[in-house]
Amino acid sequence: MFPTPIQKASGPTRLAYQIALPIALVIWLFPLIGVAVTSLRPASDLAAGNYFGVPSSIAFENYASVFRDSPIGWYILNSFKVTIPTVIGAVGLSCLTGFALAVYGFRANLWVFFAFVAGNFIPFQILMVPVRDLTLKAGLYDSTLGLVLFHVAFQTGFCTLFMRNFIKGMPFALIESARVEGVSEWQIFRHIVLPLMRPAIAALSVLVFTFVWNDYFWATVLVQGQHAMPVTAGLYALNGQWVAAWHLVSAGSIVAALPPVLMFFLMQRHFIAGLTLGATKG
Amino acid sequence: MAEVSLSNVKKDFGAISIIKGIDLEIKDGEFCVFVGPSGCGKSTLLRMIAGLEDISQGALRIGGRDMTKIGPSDRGVAMVFQSYALYPHMTVGENIGFGLRMTGHEKAEIAKRTAAAAKMLQLEPLLERKPGQLSGGQRQRVAIGRAIVRNPEVFLFDEPLSNLDASLRVQMRGEISRLHQDLGATMIYVTHDQVEAMTMADKIVVLSAGRIEQVGSPLELYHRPKNLFVAGFIGSPKMNFIPVDARPHNGGIEVTLPGGATLQLAGTLAAAGKMTLGLRPEHASATGAGDAVLPAKVQLAEHLGSETLFFVSLADGTEIAVKADGLAAERPGDTMQIGFPARACHLFDADGNAVLNGDLTR
Ligand SMILES: Nc1ncnc2c1ncn2[C@@H]1O[C@H](COP(=O)(O)OP(=O)(O)O)[C@@H](O)[C@H]1O
Ligand SMILES: [Mg+2]
Repeated sequence: MFPTPIQKASGPTRLAYQIALPIALVIWLFPLIGVAVTSLRPASDLAAGNYFGVPSSIAFENYASVFRDSPIGWYILNSFKVTIPTVIGAVGLSCLTGFALAVYGFRANLWVFFAFVAGNFIPFQILMVPVRDLTLKAGLYDSTLGLVLFHVAFQTGFCTLFMRNFIKGMPFALIESARVEGVSEWQIFRHIVLPLMRPAIAALSVLVFTFVWNDYFWATVLVQGQHAMPVTAGLYALNGQWVAAWHLVSAGSIVAALPPVLMFFLMQRHFIAGLTLGATKG
Repeated sequence: MAEVSLSNVKKDFGAISIIKGIDLEIKDGEFCVFVGPSGCGKSTLLRMIAGLEDISQGALRIGGRDMTKIGPSDRGVAMVFQSYALYPHMTVGENIGFGLRMTGHEKAEIAKRTAAAAKMLQLEPLLERKPGQLSGGQRQRVAIGRAIVRNPEVFLFDEPLSNLDASLRVQMRGEISRLHQDLGATMIYVTHDQVEAMTMADKIVVLSAGRIEQVGSPLELYHRPKNLFVAGFIGSPKMNFIPVDARPHNGGIEVTLPGGATLQLAGTLAAAGKMTLGLRPEHASATGAGDAVLPAKVQLAEHLGSETLFFVSLADGTEIAVKADGLAAERPGDTMQIGFPARACHLFDADGNAVLNGDLTR
């Protein structure tokens, strides 16, 4: 087997592994640990210059005051208002486009597919000015709807690539067999392909959710006012308000980072590999 | 009534012609087997009948209706795939009833028909399982169950047994034959295994490279192969082919066998020439009984208990197989006398077409 399982490696290799792994882990997690510890540090510690030492007490009230003294709850709500429709829109659309591209051999099939793939290679930052102008003209500037529409547009390319390849990997005989049984194309999509796509839908949902939730670029380009501002851009605004209140900024960051993590654990049980097991000979 | 008729049906994939003009009539209720070597276009032809491949040229009629341009869902046929193609997320019961559910049948009707199909195929204890929890033979039965609940007039099978082990294959062969007797539906069955074809078919269609070589009942193909291809394909072990010189002689045919012995065959021949003599291993005599006797050296002896299969080489090195008694004692290196009975011999001309078929009733 390659790579050799670490349990079977020689003694010194195993020892080196056991030492290196925790070190790598700590280095990797250091910024996160720093933020987490700071978020629980009372304000007095920071005032006394205790930036990196052990906190003098655990200050859960930091979290309460973040919610009380700032509009972060509102920002988080905005983030949900942007992220959830985007996930539904991008994943839903790409189920349909992926199905069409994987199942039907129409003439322009490959070209349409390439168009979706090629979109992924455009660095989206260069679209900043035209997209902003477009949203302004369309009356979508400074609204969550505008963000949703543009996120859906930008995410659908990658999602289509992902879904098309996933459906291509299914045994095509399943679709043919249903056709011979007199099942309509829409029913085939709805009752055979869609249920089998569950692992792909779960994986993509988490990916898109995380990406859109963490998006800062479009949030600042397309939104100005508090009423539509997602939490990423909102935190930046708080940075200005709480110039030296790092404990509060840290607590806000932790709160803002939680939803993607929760989303991952929520969706995890759907990532069952081998769902098509037993469809064919096997 | 569901007879299937193909007239001059052709299929091209791009510039490559795969099915090169098939004319075929399959009667209502007939069990028709397409047999031929791998890659000869059997599956393609079956899929064209199912509607899964377009028909490039020609016409297809099922039950008298022109189906050439009709989609698969409207042809009223059922197909069992080589890979079974069971829906992995549905239970056995749901798999069987799925087609009915999607085509708007009532719940009670679906339940009744599913139960009947499950009973017929002994699937009753498995109805709640998922396909992943079934053995190969059970999956195969579910795939057949899915086909029979719809009461189709035409069943299509694409090598349904090729993924099963040998003993299960024999058992399922019997079950499919019984199903055919019970349902009386038209069945078209694709296989590359001539034993399956011989044991199940009313009518065998031998295909090679996209063309029909011969159509006939199993015994017709066995006794009267039209050409070398069919002669070599039908029958196990294969028919022996021996290069000979043949000429007209005394109102019959005289052939010179390797080593110089001659054999008189009934029949007429227009001109002399190099030809191929065909003799099945079961018709050659290991004890030297026959109208011509040739010495041969044993190369290999396979003792199967009920019979012994000798592979022997003739004077010119031609290897032939001879079926002998299970107790035959010759060993490799021994010399045997092989008898050629004239009435069992086939003769093929230089183009491979049969000039003469043996006639065991003579
Ligand atoms: N979709 C396709 N495109 C191109 N060639 C094909 C296609 N399907 C089958 N063929 C070719 O047609 C020939 C016959 O295939 P098939 O009908 O599957 O043979 P078999 O007799 O083994 O079932 C093969 O040479 C195969 O490569
Ligand atoms: Mg095939």
